[in-house]
Amino acid sequence: MGLKENIKYLFSYKLIGESLIKLNTKKSYKNFKPPKNWRTDILAPPLKTGVFTKEIITRHYLEGRYVNGVKPVAWVTSGAPIEILKALGFYILYPENHGALCGARKVALEISEEAEKRGYSIDICSYARTDIGSTLSKKTPVGRLPKPDLLLCCTNICQTVLYWYRVLAEYYKVPLIVIDTPFVYDEAREHDIEYVKKQLEASIEVSERVAGKSLSFSKLKEVVRLSKMAAELWLEIMNANKNKPAPISVFDQFIHMAPIVEKRGDSETVDFYSKMLDEINDRIKNGIGAVKNERKRVLWDNLPIWYKLKFLSEFLAENGVSVVASTYTNAWGELAPMMDIERPIESMARTYIYPILNRGTGHKLKTMETMVKEFELDGAILHSDRSCKPYSVGQMDQRIKLLNELGVAALLLEADHSDPRAFADEQVISRLKAFVEMMD
Amino acid sequence: MLHIKIPTRREVIEKAKAEGKKIAAVYPIHYPRELFRAFNIQPIEVWGPPKTDTKKANAHLQSYICSVVQSGLAFYLEGGINVADIIVVPHSCDSLQGLGSIYKDFIKPKQELITIYLPREKNRENVEFLSKELKRIYKQLAEFTHFEPDREKLLEEIKKEEEIDVLVAKFYKSRENLPLSSREFYTILRAREYLPVELFKNILNYALLHSSSGKLKKTGIVISGLLPEPMEILDVIDEMDGFVALDDMACCMRRVYGEGSADDPFERMAERIVNSTPDPTKGSSVDERADFLKSLIDISGAKGVVFYNVKFCEPEYFYHPLLKDKLNESGIKSIVIETDINEPISQQTITRIKAFIEMLKEESRWA
Amino acid sequence: METVKSIGIDAGSTTLKIVGVNEEGKILFTIVEDADPKVEEQTESILNKLKENYDIESSKIVATGYGSNLIKADKKITEITCHAKGIYEHFKSGGTAVDIGGQDNKVILISKGGKVIDFIMNDKCASGTGRFLENTAWRLKIPTEKMAELALNSDGEVKISSTCAVFAESEVISHLSRGEKLEHVIKGLHRAMVKRITSMIYAIGFNPPLMLSGGVAKNKAVVKMLEEELGEKPLIPENPQIMGAFGAALLGLSK
Repeated sequence: MGLKENIKYLFSYKLIGESLIKLNTKKSYKNFKPPKNWRTDILAPPLKTGVFTKEIITRHYLEGRYVNGVKPVAWVTSGAPIEILKALGFYILYPENHGALCGARKVALEISEEAEKRGYSIDICSYARTDIGSTLSKKTPVGRLPKPDLLLCCTNICQTVLYWYRVLAEYYKVPLIVIDTPFVYDEAREHDIEYVKKQLEASIEVSERVAGKSLSFSKLKEVVRLSKMAAELWLEIMNANKNKPAPISVFDQFIHMAPIVEKRGDSETVDFYSKMLDEINDRIKNGIGAVKNERKRVLWDNLPIWYKLKFLSEFLAENGVSVVASTYTNAWGELAPMMDIERPIESMARTYIYPILNRGTGHKLKTMETMVKEFELDGAILHSDRSCKPYSVGQMDQRIKLLNELGVAALLLEADHSDPRAFADEQVISRLKAFVEMMD
Repeated sequence: MLHIKIPTRREVIEKAKAEGKKIAAVYPIHYPRELFRAFNIQPIEVWGPPKTDTKKANAHLQSYICSVVQSGLAFYLEGGINVADIIVVPHSCDSLQGLGSIYKDFIKPKQELITIYLPREKNRENVEFLSKELKRIYKQLAEFTHFEPDREKLLEEIKKEEEIDVLVAKFYKSRENLPLSSREFYTILRAREYLPVELFKNILNYALLHSSSGKLKKTGIVISGLLPEPMEILDVIDEMDGFVALDDMACCMRRVYGEGSADDPFERMAERIVNSTPDPTKGSSVDERADFLKSLIDISGAKGVVFYNVKFCEPEYFYHPLLKDKLNESGIKSIVIETDINEPISQQTITRIKAFIEMLKEESRWA
Repeated sequence: METVKSIGIDAGSTTLKIVGVNEEGKILFTIVEDADPKVEEQTESILNKLKENYDIESSKIVATGYGSNLIKADKKITEITCHAKGIYEHFKSGGTAVDIGGQDNKVILISKGGKVIDFIMNDKCASGTGRFLENTAWRLKIPTEKMAELALNSDGEVKISSTCAVFAESEVISHLSRGEKLEHVIKGLHRAMVKRITSMIYAIGFNPPLMLSGGVAKNKAVVKMLEEELGEKPLIPENPQIMGAFGAALLGLSK
């Protein structure tokens, strides 16, 4: 680690940047006001603790600008087992989160065109296109992304990441760890879990080499403990929506899930979610719903449509529809009970093989059916995401089952998580209108 | 032009049924043929089929799923797989993973459903995992057929497949000396997807009898992708005085496995699949794939590479830009052609291929 | 009567182009007509008429374009090779040739010596081609020629995000119904098209100069925007439509 980089990191990030951001958060928390264009007529004000979401993420990316040469940097997939890397002191970047951020800031198209110009097909995942585009052009809304020293790719969310990370490995010329997780058609078999466990064990050596130090198992246990605690809190926050009216909409969850994805295993993430849970419990006590006139309750399946969150949230709220549960935000909480602090590696192997995206289409239907019952839902919006095949395949059958067997309205909405070219406002509005009418 | 009568899929199925064999309908890509043969099961692979009306699949699969998977499901829904006793879905990509899962959870076919998980990188642990996975499938097949082939039977079938792999390699090596059009060459080669071992062996041996010392004086092309469909593309290449010299196709070369070394039959089958040629669905590194393509060019003296890409096939898409660059650095031209196995090739695609071959010829004229 | 050594026929999707050259490759005549569905008959009657003024008895005939299969010719060569040849001989320069046609776009990299180094064409969908603008013009009941003028004189621009020609059409209508100015929308549409073309140019690796051919090269708005996007002034032949036929005729001269 270079002295110059260290000084720059200390000065620009630790001394100035971080303090400024924290000061700013304190101020905005104290004088909390919803943004000017917030539709207070139909929506509850945003969560006050949301100012910390912004702080955590801003600090994370700011640290990223100065971190090369100070800490080892790993780029990882969203479902990757990061506990080992965390315990080794890696700075961890999630290209998918960066892709989502680009989508929400409406720059994903411009950046992914940089990849398309180089011949990457418009039919590959838009996160991958954004990431490769950003790699090729250095364009990013966060100033600068740190270069990876290590890539960690886990196939428990899709196979796409496998090819995508091969491309990254080629551009950055750094080691790539693949954790391959056999798809769980019904239950994972012993040899599947053994296979993942062996890969996790083998990954330790590579990670240690890149980090230049050896793994401390007590540190690992601590990370697993914090990771588990944060996930449990997140799960509790989502379950708070079983109350009527639902205190936090799924559109809010999409924003506030960033720390559970990006800062899992940090103690401040635990503090943050416990603060958020307090605020949500206050809302429940005072009967405050995220949507002011909550007439209908629905679930959201699949990734968010990042560039249309406001548009969709407002349209639905205008019609008294609150989106209260989602298979997507749930994915970062539902596995928390499987983590075992005493047997970190074994329990990681089990936990990381079981995300909803690595399980059968019938399992996802069951998850949605349970949500319909437990959250007392009237309908389901299934975002058919052309960039995410594993999440989307099966939705057509799932929709029919929800419709026929549970009798809830179910809409298949064709779009893409970050490529706005796959979204046509007029068509979406007319479909959503029909969907609302179906529930009435 | 050779006069070789290759039995059709239907004929093979009827004959197998008459002999009391069971039929397995197998989706792409990798699976151990020998394991099924040891159970007296005739594997019949389902690569599409091309030119299928996929409207029935539209009730289960979104439009951004590739035509191979769309047709594969539509074919089942139209009753095309009714003759099969078993359906096998290898885990080759997200779309086939989804297909296997839809079968299991929603469509629930009357056939026995077998899924196979295939590990990615070439190493000892992966051989071990796959051999356990194959043992699991062995148990499933044993329960289904009430038959338990012993170690010798398994090894016997493995050796037969290993011999065929050697013969296929010879068939490839003789390509230039065989008086076959590209379409004929691939029709013979792809008969392996449904023929019993002996029959396929005879056909290859017969075709090899016709190899001569005279070489084809044509512009050689290497094709890369899933499968050479629509086959009209092969005709266009031939029409331009070109020919397919070698391939890097999932249905062909990528499944010519090497000999295994283990004595344990499961390990041996696993070794063969794990150590196959580079394959995007296994996430092979870009360098491995580029080197492999370059070696195909070197061996065959071909002039360029045509990437045949089935639209929406993500594993293939990711590699194209970097492969093109790496080939280019070695002075090898390549082109990406997008195909849909159910649609006739467009005039524009024909123009592209023709122009590509014109460019290659011009090049060698200047060289 | 002058002897025509070689005739190039470019039977495109919308227009038929015929060029005759003498031994030195000098253009003797050029003919551009709307393409008839029966292009073989159309060509024959044109050739018959030519006989009145030219000696074409021994002319080599080279056909290119989508309709080339229907035409009797000594040689059939793809549009790629023909355009490259035509453009190269016209400008006497290698570089990047861009042909924006009625239903497809081609970008061709030409070496210093006039060889095709690489080329790409747009994918199946018509976005970014001439047809894309034509359709919208027709939908809005504006003459195609007027489109460029409206775009050029527009003081603003609406972002059209759809790449699909069909979606773009509905996007245009919805922008208009939301009260956006017509010229702003049309300029946005031109921009979307030009962006598609520039991304093709980058995909193949831009090597100046940029040389345009095809009917759309006459669209001043497209030309201006291409210059803005690439930072390079495009070279345009006086008669951009005939470059393919010219190249075909020249290829008839070589053995």
